Amino acid sequence: MKKLILISGLILMVSCQEKSKLDPNINPFFQDWTTPFEVPPFMDIKNEDYMPAFKKGMEENLAEIEVIIKNTDDPTFANTIEELERTGKLLSKVQRVFSNLASSNTNPKLQELQRELSPMLSAHYDKIVLNEDLFNRVEEIWNNRESANLTKEQQKLLKDTRKQFVRSGALLNDSQKKQITEINSKISELSTEFGQNLLAETNGFELILNKSDLEGLSDAVVSAASEAASQKMDQAESEDEKEKYKDKYVFTPHRTSMYPFLTESTRRDLREKLYNSYVMRGDNANETDNNDIAAKMAKLRAERANIMGYKTHADFILEENMLKTPDEVYDLLIQLWKPALKRAKAEVADMQAVADSEGKDFKIAAWDWWHYSEKVRKDKYDLDEAAIRPYLSLDNVIQGVFNTTNKLWGLNFKEIFDIDSYHPDARIWEVTDKDGSHLAIFIGDYFTRSNKRGGAWMSSFKGQSNLDGRERPIVVNVCNFPAPVGDNPSLLSFENAVTLFHEFGHAMHGILTDVTYGSMAGTSGPRDFIELPSQLLEHWVSEPEVLKSFATHYETGETIPDELIEKLLKAGKFNQGFINTEYLAASLLDMDWHTLSLEDAKNISNNFENNSMNNIGLIDEIAPRYRSTYFAHIFSGGYSSGYYSYVHAAVLDSDAFEAFKEAGDVFDPELSASLRKNIYEKGSTEEAMDLYVNFRGRKPIIEPLLKVRGLDGSSD
Amino acid sequence: MKQILFLGLFFISFTANSHNPEKLVISEIERGQLNFENETIAAEYSAALKRQRIRRLSAMSWSKKMYIFIKAGFEHIIPQGLDHILFVLGLFFSTLKLRSLILQVTAFTFAHSITLALAALGFVKLQLSVVEPLIFLSIVWVAFENTFFKKTTKWRPLVVFTFGLLHGLGFATLLTQYGLPKDNFISLLLAFNVGVEFGQFAVLLAAFILIRLIYLKTEYKNQLKIPASILIGCTGLFWFIESLI
Repeated sequence: MKKLILISGLILMVSCQEKSKLDPNINPFFQDWTTPFEVPPFMDIKNEDYMPAFKKGMEENLAEIEVIIKNTDDPTFANTIEELERTGKLLSKVQRVFSNLASSNTNPKLQELQRELSPMLSAHYDKIVLNEDLFNRVEEIWNNRESANLTKEQQKLLKDTRKQFVRSGALLNDSQKKQITEINSKISELSTEFGQNLLAETNGFELILNKSDLEGLSDAVVSAASEAASQKMDQAESEDEKEKYKDKYVFTPHRTSMYPFLTESTRRDLREKLYNSYVMRGDNANETDNNDIAAKMAKLRAERANIMGYKTHADFILEENMLKTPDEVYDLLIQLWKPALKRAKAEVADMQAVADSEGKDFKIAAWDWWHYSEKVRKDKYDLDEAAIRPYLSLDNVIQGVFNTTNKLWGLNFKEIFDIDSYHPDARIWEVTDKDGSHLAIFIGDYFTRSNKRGGAWMSSFKGQSNLDGRERPIVVNVCNFPAPVGDNPSLLSFENAVTLFHEFGHAMHGILTDVTYGSMAGTSGPRDFIELPSQLLEHWVSEPEVLKSFATHYETGETIPDELIEKLLKAGKFNQGFINTEYLAASLLDMDWHTLSLEDAKNISNNFENNSMNNIGLIDEIAPRYRSTYFAHIFSGGYSSGYYSYVHAAVLDSDAFEAFKEAGDVFDPELSASLRKNIYEKGSTEEAMDLYVNFRGRKPIIEPLLKVRGLDGSSD
Repeated sequence: MKQILFLGLFFISFTANSHNPEKLVISEIERGQLNFENETIAAEYSAALKRQRIRRLSAMSWSKKMYIFIKAGFEHIIPQGLDHILFVLGLFFSTLKLRSLILQVTAFTFAHSITLALAALGFVKLQLSVVEPLIFLSIVWVAFENTFFKKTTKWRPLVVFTFGLLHGLGFATLLTQYGLPKDNFISLLLAFNVGVEFGQFAVLLAAFILIRLIYLKTEYKNQLKIPASILIGCTGLFWFIESLI
């Protein structure tokens, strides 16, 4: 009996679970989070908590602004700029949780909220940034900045804050403001139309094939095409239409359908047909033609830049970037262009040799590229992806990236289990510094799932600031790696491992950041700079020394063999002439569109793109990565005069990593410390170029990138 | 007093599910709630929960892990394994002789340990949807024997052994569903089993004590044998039919 009582007592004792400390009757966003490290109390937040919190957050935010404006004291940095930093805490609290979960662990209700909230939020921020009284205070501080005795960081914050108002039109007169609003709404309409046309054009073409047309295609490609045909049959409305797809195979200009076909099909005539359907999208002189829209947008953008006081749209955009003027961008692109084009020509020659040896009597054309480059790849760069995966279990790669940052900066990671995450696959680590002090919380959410957006990204649930005491961030990486099957570990491709290091580089930017003002923390810098911390970390995963330290076979425990590493690194140089040429051509095209003066933009010729490409000497075998009529990045996305950013960041990361190579130690302590102090800690507290020069001792050069990509002549 | 006990048992057996799927065995390493309707999301979620449990376990100290698995095994009998409780009670009511009881219980223990180990190691695989109805039938059979056979046959330990094999598979399906970390596989498997034995022992001990409290003398247990067995048999039958629907 005693035993029984003892046993039942034991059960009771251990089954008591820790209860949330929040009051369940009050919206969790309106309460202080007493969770460890203020991790959001995910389990207490319900779908219906968001909207009231957003509304109250916006109200509070506006009330706080009102207090700043109503302050009868003369405007000072402390009572205006610094106070602005303190506003909107509730809004940011709910917005961070919401926007993260709406992407990484969404549900129909959150999706609906997102649509509802988007116009509300943009109207809210307009109210602040278009507030004249507020701007007048900022402007007064700006005008007296010389005598205000501000620190460097404060000066940068003042400048950035003011610029936000100015770029929204604060210095314009009323009629100009009205013009800008009109232009903005026209641009936004045109960009929507551009996107819709593009979608229609991409969906509007299909290559319907018979069984006899499938020469060269692998089983997987054939079955995908057959599946596409049967889907079309299901959607067909009439019997005739159904008949059209019966027992047929469908390919479309969507890349996932087109690339496998171009690679495998031995039917040159069909490759040409499908390829042309792709490059002619939006350029078919029909009702979904995008030529006119692109020209109109270029004109409107030039007009807007003029009103704002800039010569061209590119000048207006670049002012915010690391490269400040169109000349700097052109200079970079042209420098890279020559070696890339040279390599591309060599690749054409390689492919022509293969075609000749097969006894083919034709000159390699654009639609032959995938098919023949695949033959070259198999011959020179063959790499069996499946042979690498067993060495790259997710846990190994995570350990690899942890070890890397441990060796660089002495960071330590401890997985914690007593905090609820938003999903059991979203793992939580505490990051501590080399002296053991708390640095950040890192959440790693790596597996793909049906309620997660595709792709990979970094974000944060809490920012960093030292304004009112030391506040450390909560940073998250979200990826879409294959979830493990059964009890086996998740095995990554090398590309996945690179992505993991990349996102972790962003995370480091968010974790190591140590600035006073939250709005300048972490990844707040310009677009052509913020990919540096991420792309830089990628270099370590390709270092044999690093790779060997973590890439062990998940079954045998054997370290990845040297020969495999060698193949892996060599494969990275395959087809780089093509990849760089098509990319640079598109970047230059983007710049050409957006460096038009208003005069020139009014008379855009039909041959604009052709002339632009002829100017740089693009070869017929390659089209720009995006032709104007389907260049969604710049005509329906946010990348106008910004498509060059990818390669700019690549120049920076290759050049920065070269410093470690020069030192002869990829973990050189002095360089690591300088990298942390000058780049990863600084957020946007200084001009990006200054930060870089502080680390590297000089401006970036392109040679290291050429070497990494095999464009330095070594691959010829 | 007797009637109240019957009523109580009757009530419990028909209201409680034998294994409530929502109730999680290993509660320390459990977090989060399943509140999705979509089937795929739910499946992904439970796979993720299992991964999370294994990670949590791997990070724990050895003694903590042992404790959790012993406890999980125990809870798998009390309070969650009403089917196993009834089976053990079926054995309890079958005989007056302590020796016979010990023999049966030992056979049962031995058998379910074997299949639990084999299934956890992956040598045997059976769906819970197959095993569960058979477990319920085993309860029915034991009760049937108690009610209609005058004496326990000499084959009884063998029959119980066979049923034990089934029950072991039942333990294993749940255990593998929750996941065992690879590094301490054997010791944790043993710990879980030890927990199950504790649970079983506790049931027998409680039954013994209750009988003593009610009847003062063990001999009167026989008066209870048939009605209790009928009740147990009916419950098992009810579960069996329910599990087929």
